[in-house]
Amino acid sequence: MARFTIAHLYPDLMNLYGDRGNLVCLQKRLQWRGHECHIYSVGIGQNIDFGAIDMVFMGGGSDREQGLVYGDLIKRADAFRQAIEADLPVLCICGAYQLLGESYIAADGQRLQGLGFFNIVTRVAQPRLIGNILLETDLVGQKTTVVGFENHGGRTFLNDQRLKPFGRVVKGHGNNGQDGFEGMKYRNLVGTYLHGPLLPKNPSVADFFIKAMAARRGMSSTITPLYDTIETFAHQQVKYKILNS
Amino acid sequence: MLRTIVAIMAAKIIINVSRRFGNQGTVLAGRVALWLDPGILKKLAARVRGQIIIITGTNGKTTTSNMIAQILHANGNSVVHNQAGANMLNGITTAFIAASNLTASRHWDYALLETDEANVAPLLNEVNARQLLITNFFRDQLDRFGELDRTIRLISEGVKGRNIRLWLNADDPLMTGLPVETGLSCSYYGFAATPYDTLHNQDSREGRYCMLCGEEIEYQSFHFAQLGAFYCPNCGNTNPVPDYLGSDLQLDHNITMKINNLEVTSPYQGFYNAYNILAAVAVSKGMGIADAVIREAIARFQPQAGRMERFTVGSKEATLILVKNPTGFNQSLQALLNDHRSKNLFLALNDNAADGRDVSWIWDADLESLASAGAGISLLVCSGLRSGDMAVRVKYAGVDQELIQIESDLDPAIQKALSGPGKVNYILSTYTALFQCRKILLRLQAEYAPSVVRERA
Repeated sequence: MARFTIAHLYPDLMNLYGDRGNLVCLQKRLQWRGHECHIYSVGIGQNIDFGAIDMVFMGGGSDREQGLVYGDLIKRADAFRQAIEADLPVLCICGAYQLLGESYIAADGQRLQGLGFFNIVTRVAQPRLIGNILLETDLVGQKTTVVGFENHGGRTFLNDQRLKPFGRVVKGHGNNGQDGFEGMKYRNLVGTYLHGPLLPKNPSVADFFIKAMAARRGMSSTITPLYDTIETFAHQQVKYKILNS
Repeated sequence: MLRTIVAIMAAKIIINVSRRFGNQGTVLAGRVALWLDPGILKKLAARVRGQIIIITGTNGKTTTSNMIAQILHANGNSVVHNQAGANMLNGITTAFIAASNLTASRHWDYALLETDEANVAPLLNEVNARQLLITNFFRDQLDRFGELDRTIRLISEGVKGRNIRLWLNADDPLMTGLPVETGLSCSYYGFAATPYDTLHNQDSREGRYCMLCGEEIEYQSFHFAQLGAFYCPNCGNTNPVPDYLGSDLQLDHNITMKINNLEVTSPYQGFYNAYNILAAVAVSKGMGIADAVIREAIARFQPQAGRMERFTVGSKEATLILVKNPTGFNQSLQALLNDHRSKNLFLALNDNAADGRDVSWIWDADLESLASAGAGISLLVCSGLRSGDMAVRVKYAGVDQELIQIESDLDPAIQKALSGPGKVNYILSTYTALFQCRKILLRLQAEYAPSVVRERA
């Protein structure tokens, strides 16, 4: 029995694509295991103590909103980076994932600064990469599939030796539609273009974060298995659809 | 000329054949006609003597344009009007051809063209419309248009420099950029304060930021979603004064309200339909139609297929509702939760192009309301191509897992729902499953109709 705290960064600005579903999923899966889960929203200018939280979640937004977020987040960049180095579980989707890199080059050539945590560059190009996507990942120590939906104009390139991709694209576009990889992983941080939302249909990914949260609290790394029939059905339904499309 | 006649003839044959097979044939006929004669839509649209009115926006296009059509018919006018779901250029061409004669010489008084936001600009290249009605902007089918900002920009760029009047929702802050960016003359419709307003809003809300200066806007009150009384503390942007003001709104059982000085009553339900009525009445009054004609037409106008349509299967009542985005979904859930009887609920989620290929939007709808103690859910059947996503959604909304069943095929799924322990049935469906659901309900309604016993006199 423990009380976990997840910080939801800029929910007013970065909330495209049903991102809320990722938080609902983490919260329920903690509750079903007898824990409490408190989610609190952090807006522009609001305080955040990275030492007092168990996880950070940040979703996607439109270009205008991403600019506002960058301006605020850059002020706390050092504390955020230290927390990532200290194995804080972090999930960044879409726009939030792009912000972790050096820069984002918009369609008109304008260069928007990123937080610069990693040597990642995103360039916008046509057409948008849209559709259902199937990945294979070894995030949880064994090969599992991940299903989701991607919708991004940006082509993201990982040029950083420290990073691994989140997964290998089985079907879909991924980071840039070229190198066959999707997302990034560093310590307990995952950046990805997958929404749908990501976690409810991929319970093993949700449990990766829960295990990481538990481990940082010095709790056992084995967590109670849950009865995931509905989640597995949904996962398989999409997987089948993607493989047969 | 010969080319035009051939195109019309081919399209009319396709329309007839597909009707015989029970399809609407709405898209193919227009596509073939445009292929045979690329100028056909332009030619036919030039036969409209009065005005061409385009209706766009996220929700309420179909209901609003149907209401305007009803009012125009009641006024004795001839009207070309495309069908719901056939609202791209092909479908609109079909509508004109279906109403035309072979030589394309027939004239009409009005054309009412409902279309998606992204299609406004291409449509304006074909037809000389002088009025554009926008219902509202909500989050819908992101995968088709990109993001909401882009949707609004598409319209703004599409109308700029044209001779067209905009009819805008005065309660939607997302529309406040349009008059500034386009410089066009605008008419506004909107509601005064109503007893249903709230001070806070839990809906997934768009447009928290001022369209003019980018600062966060503030609200005095919300009608629903982002519609309400707003102002920007930075630049002073606020609701424009409505030319057509809805007041004295009352939503019990039906809708009654005053629009300026005209009192109307409608058999519809729900605040969102009150907006549809307000918009339809505003445009009609703007065209100079008499109050008495409008009042009468609104009073007689009945809900359409899938817009709270009722069926009776044996002794059980079933209500069919179309859902297509979070705001509409929330409004539908609100309406069914106002029914305090125990209920079997059927939720069909498809992910075809017309539904939106991205099903993430169901997570922005307040399905948590189904898990509340008073919801009275006896059984919940998830169906459609993405039945799994819907089932996961309701599970994480907190609905008792024992009540959730998955049956992807619509027919057995509807039958399963109807045989549940609930007193009433609510059948909710996304667009591409709606007509199949309706067919199944009509068939079951006929099968279970009480047989007539004839006695010899």
